[in-house]
Amino acid sequence: MTRRLLVALFLFASLATARGAETPSELKPFVRGSWQDVLRSHAGRPTLVHFWGVTCGPCKVELPLLGQFMKDHSEIDVVMISADLVPNLPGATRAMLEKAGLGSAENWLFSDGFVERLRFEIDPAWQGDIPRTLLIARDGTVTTIEGSAEIPDLEKWSAQQKAAMR
Amino acid sequence: MLRTSLLATLALSLCQTTAQAQMSHHQHASEAACEEVELRCASKVTPAFASDGTLWLAWMAGGRISVASSKDQGRSFSAPVQVTQEKLNLDWGPDARPQIVVEKTGGIALAFSIFRDKAFNGQVLATRSIDGGRSFAEVQPITASNESQRFAALGLDADGSVFAAWIDKRNRVPAQQEGRKYEGAGLFFASSKDGGASYAEARLAADNTCECCRLGLAFAGPGRPVIVFRNLFEGGVRDHAVMTFTDPATPGEVRRVSNDDWQISACPHHGPSLSISPAGTYHVSWFTNGKARKGLFYARSEDEGRTFSDPLPLGRADRNPTRPYVLTGPRGATMVWKEFDGEKTSVNAMISHDEGKSWSKPVTIASTTDTSDHPLLVSDGQATYLSWMTKADGYRLLPIGDGS
Repeated sequence: MTRRLLVALFLFASLATARGAETPSELKPFVRGSWQDVLRSHAGRPTLVHFWGVTCGPCKVELPLLGQFMKDHSEIDVVMISADLVPNLPGATRAMLEKAGLGSAENWLFSDGFVERLRFEIDPAWQGDIPRTLLIARDGTVTTIEGSAEIPDLEKWSAQQKAAMR
Repeated sequence: MLRTSLLATLALSLCQTTAQAQMSHHQHASEAACEEVELRCASKVTPAFASDGTLWLAWMAGGRISVASSKDQGRSFSAPVQVTQEKLNLDWGPDARPQIVVEKTGGIALAFSIFRDKAFNGQVLATRSIDGGRSFAEVQPITASNESQRFAALGLDADGSVFAAWIDKRNRVPAQQEGRKYEGAGLFFASSKDGGASYAEARLAADNTCECCRLGLAFAGPGRPVIVFRNLFEGGVRDHAVMTFTDPATPGEVRRVSNDDWQISACPHHGPSLSISPAGTYHVSWFTNGKARKGLFYARSEDEGRTFSDPLPLGRADRNPTRPYVLTGPRGATMVWKEFDGEKTSVNAMISHDEGKSWSKPVTIASTTDTSDHPLLVSDGQATYLSWMTKADGYRLLPIGDGS
């Protein structure tokens, strides 16, 4: 019995590893119109949208904290959008997301070289500084956090979302 | 001249809109029009005029830095010369670009940065040509340090030496070993007495400056480099500062350009621009998103940066003005920046004939319907030109008239 369980566990673990290696977390190409898709698909659900990039120093510090936040808050949709324009980026992007525990988040990668247009669709006033976090409440109210977000602020916001539901 | 350029540009933009829309499905991720090394595939192009009126360009394309020259103001170019044979992991940050300086003797000094590792730590490499750009020496690190360096700026001093400044993370290591928190990066500098073949030991000008923005570099006089940079003021405020060197080896004090109060723990990727007129007026333009003001601004100083004029806002706030650049020439000061209307990016220009006290109304001088490099200004000692690389319409050099 014990042995069978162990074998089963071992098999499961191997499969999980294999799966992890063969199908790395999906990176959706963020193109013109993608922003409306994001808003539509999360409408009515509290959503944290985080813009980051692999070459951004403050992002490296913040990413694992967001990974933990996502783990602690299954009631919040977490959408990560890499807004860097370094070529051949998917590998580095996936590696950083997985290391930070964000491999299973909804992950996007800026995939249109005309970055002004992508940013303009999201927020005409945004000039590309990263990190940047948008907190979208159930009713669509958007709170923008420029720069690294403070986790206590995110906790407070998520508590407000829960309270609003009751 | 201005109007002709504008009309020509508009016509070009209109013709290309349809083709562009169809192409965009195939050429999605890249900032460049193509993957090869030629100029039309470049994402970043930096111009410099030689004293004989030859235009030199250094550009990033196909993972290489290339150089070519034009004797007819950009209409035709010499066969490009690749600075390195091998493909490099070039720094593609929004504010990164190759730097080029052309000496009076015809020598050419170059500097650019690469990502040296998978963590995107940078390294500044330098080289020079002593045969009129036909060949370049093997590229060398500008400094022996193995810590991250980015955003080098090169300037040619009156005595022919090359002054270099860059952003350097080396002071992070001792700080962390002592358990201290280290913010930002150091502003480092070094001079080359041999036309950019080798640089003296790097020295610190200011520590804890912003780590992700281009520098503005100009000279207040022979041997007196001036740097404008995004600093980290008390409390993580990323406002701009200016430093005037006493001589190329002696940094001056950090003087604040403007109190914008932009406290942000992020990479703005949006550095300033500096030009100094023969009369000694400092012209600075920059971007901020501070509590005190948001957008693009210009200010001038007549006392080497001790005091600056009230910041003058640039561009239409509802059109996302970005990437300001200022240059003084014999016919006055010129300023350009980008605006975006949701479909196309335009470059707007304005001119001052009174040392920046008053400016002409902004005029759109060029536009494009796809991604583009930052608009830059370059002078051949007489006219001032817009130098602008666009993905859809290629490289452009447009003389900027004063509209009168």
